[in-house]
Amino acid sequence: MDSEDDMHDANDVDSYEEYYFSGDAMDSDMEDDDAVFEYLDNASDGSDDVVSRQQKNYTILKEDDISQRQEDDITTICSVLSISRDSACMLLRRYNWNVTNVHEYWFANEDEVRKAVGLMDNTNIKPPKSGELHCGICFESYPLDNISSAACGHPFCNTCWTAYISTSINDGPGCLTLRCPIPSCGAAVGVDMVNMLTSEEDKKKYRRYLLRSYIEDSKKTKWCPAPGCDCAIEFEMGGGSYDVTCYCSYSFCWNCTEEAHRPVDCETVSKWIMKNSAESENMNWILANSKPCPKCKRPIEKNQGCMHMTCNPPCKYEFCWLCLGQWSDHGERTGGFYACNRYESAKQEGAYDESERRREMAKNSLERYTHYYERWATNQSSRQKALADLQQMQTVHLAKLSAKQCQPETNLKFILEAWLQIVECRRVLKWTYAYGYYLPEQEQAKRQFFEYLQGEAEAGLERLHQCAEKELHTYLELSASDDFNNFRTKLAGLTTVTRNYFENLVNALENGLSDVDAHGAASSKTSTSKNAAGTSKSKGGKGKGPTKGAGSTRTDDLTGWSCDQCTYMNSKNATSCQMCHTARS
Amino acid sequence: MANSNLPRRIIKETQRLLSEPAPGISASPSEDNMRYFNVMILGPTQSPYEGGVFKLELFLPEEYPMAAPKVRFLTKIYHPNIDKLGRICLDILKDKWSPALQIRTVLLSIQALLSAPNPDDPLSENIAKHWKSNEAEAVETAKEWTRLYASGA
Ligand SMILES: [Zn+2]
Ligand SMILES: [Zn+2]
Ligand SMILES: [Zn+2]
Ligand SMILES: [Zn+2]
Ligand SMILES: [Zn+2]
Ligand SMILES: [Zn+2]
Ligand SMILES: [Zn+2]
Repeated sequence: MDSEDDMHDANDVDSYEEYYFSGDAMDSDMEDDDAVFEYLDNASDGSDDVVSRQQKNYTILKEDDISQRQEDDITTICSVLSISRDSACMLLRRYNWNVTNVHEYWFANEDEVRKAVGLMDNTNIKPPKSGELHCGICFESYPLDNISSAACGHPFCNTCWTAYISTSINDGPGCLTLRCPIPSCGAAVGVDMVNMLTSEEDKKKYRRYLLRSYIEDSKKTKWCPAPGCDCAIEFEMGGGSYDVTCYCSYSFCWNCTEEAHRPVDCETVSKWIMKNSAESENMNWILANSKPCPKCKRPIEKNQGCMHMTCNPPCKYEFCWLCLGQWSDHGERTGGFYACNRYESAKQEGAYDESERRREMAKNSLERYTHYYERWATNQSSRQKALADLQQMQTVHLAKLSAKQCQPETNLKFILEAWLQIVECRRVLKWTYAYGYYLPEQEQAKRQFFEYLQGEAEAGLERLHQCAEKELHTYLELSASDDFNNFRTKLAGLTTVTRNYFENLVNALENGLSDVDAHGAASSKTSTSKNAAGTSKSKGGKGKGPTKGAGSTRTDDLTGWSCDQCTYMNSKNATSCQMCHTARS
Repeated sequence: MANSNLPRRIIKETQRLLSEPAPGISASPSEDNMRYFNVMILGPTQSPYEGGVFKLELFLPEEYPMAAPKVRFLTKIYHPNIDKLGRICLDILKDKWSPALQIRTVLLSIQALLSAPNPDDPLSENIAKHWKSNEAEAVETAKEWTRLYASGA
């Protein structure tokens, strides 16, 4: 590692954190920010640098590594069981490439295993020494050297074998368990015969299937799902996150193979993805925005304010959106075009309640969903953009900057690290919106705190992004200056602070905001005084924390006190803040 | 025509089908396409199809014998493994096909299927349900259909 950067990271973080996040450099009203940073820092006491210290619990395997492991396993089995490589390969495949299982089953009942896999003991079969043999497929006779057999000895001509094996290979991975053509025989046809009798192309396909089976049949390995990537990941079960990052730089969840999705769990991801699939939402949309035509029953969509609906041809029935009555009964008498007295009075009598309420609910839930989805999608595209920018940085800007600022490119690594951090943060931020969507409406204290943390995260990331993008650009134009070293310190500092903040955010959300839970009861009773954090941050974007003056709300409330630092509504007995541990003032 | 380069195997199989036919089975190639066979199977004794004469068509695709022959009942039949279109649910016609099998083995297997319907691997859901819920009644229907559609008139 670059020792200079390390030094900056290790020694200067605190002061930079204070500097950049305490307000004077940025928005005027940032005091509360270090409270959150502090809170999250406290949450992970003694493990500030979680990312770098985290033990890798997985191994990335390239195609060559996989082949090598496969060969090694085959070697082990064939020496321990004294069988051919060909047979060892079939055995391993049968037991999902688990060497231990092969041993166990083999020594428990060799005959049974041989039968299951189709390994014949062919010592008793004596092939004829001369003459011709009849091929059971093409019905021709051939001299012996044009005839081949599996271990069972059933003779077929080489041409028929080639066609037989090739048909099977082109049918799919079933070729790995190919048997002698005689249906009652069951003798295995393995890699030796494939190599002896098929075309180069078929051999390649067969090897590919064999390689795939090594990864796909084992419970410990999975392919990297990134398109065009041939690597696989071996995962060490037990403890730790499922997130893995492949050589191709794609990060994914090893458990569900969706894109990495901390802090939300796999179940939420799959729910969210299902939710996003157009169909289910379209249903809701139709429910909220269309009604069946009272005459022909086809759904008809309302997209203008007017209640006068005309069904599509050929029906063309004209009716009132609200009461579904014939339009000719409407007019001035019933309240004009934008209201319907008939509907209003009927509603008061309760006639429309059920279906209207359902429609109303569907509409609200759709609006709520749209709110989260839009932000989820925006972060997704911001991330895509940041990835492209990172690419651009690596291929173009870095060299230019290096020339302009007379710095070797190795000294500019901190810029790439900043961009990698931005990409990662966008990903986390994106998933916090799925998290928010599923955070129960009734858990108000949690929601408020969550939205506060999310808002802070967004603001912090915004600062880093700004610095890495706009400020950097000035140094692409300027000639070498001392300012550049300040810039380095600032960007590296921001990167570290943001990394820590997000890592702690992820941990807090993964713990289900359990800190809030502990005091939730107290705060939810008193939350009539709006916790400023929740409302001011809910729209994302620039974070505006609660002002120092927020303490004034505390007098309104006899049951608790609002923390000066973080505005958390504490129970009246607490002497220090249950959220940020600041002493009560 | 295409018949001129017919594989030796098909010629040999055809000759043998004609010279030593399996009991209750006849198969003869069409005159203009040697890969297309007109097949007749007699309903096996002791089965609901007894006394019936069932017409089938059998076609040997280009890939034969690496691919299975295509066979279909032309006569209407009430059987849980045969659908309205006469398609047959039989493993050796699908994934269990082997080039070591022949037209003769295929037809013998179909004949055996008539003797032993298998409602657990159905092609025709309704008939299979009928078979499982009330076998006696289903067998009656099968007999009825045999009289109606397979009386060999
Ligand atoms: Zn042959
Ligand atoms: Zn054999
Ligand atoms: Zn990859
Ligand atoms: Zn997952
Ligand atoms: Zn209509
Ligand atoms: Zn109306
Ligand atoms: Zn506090």
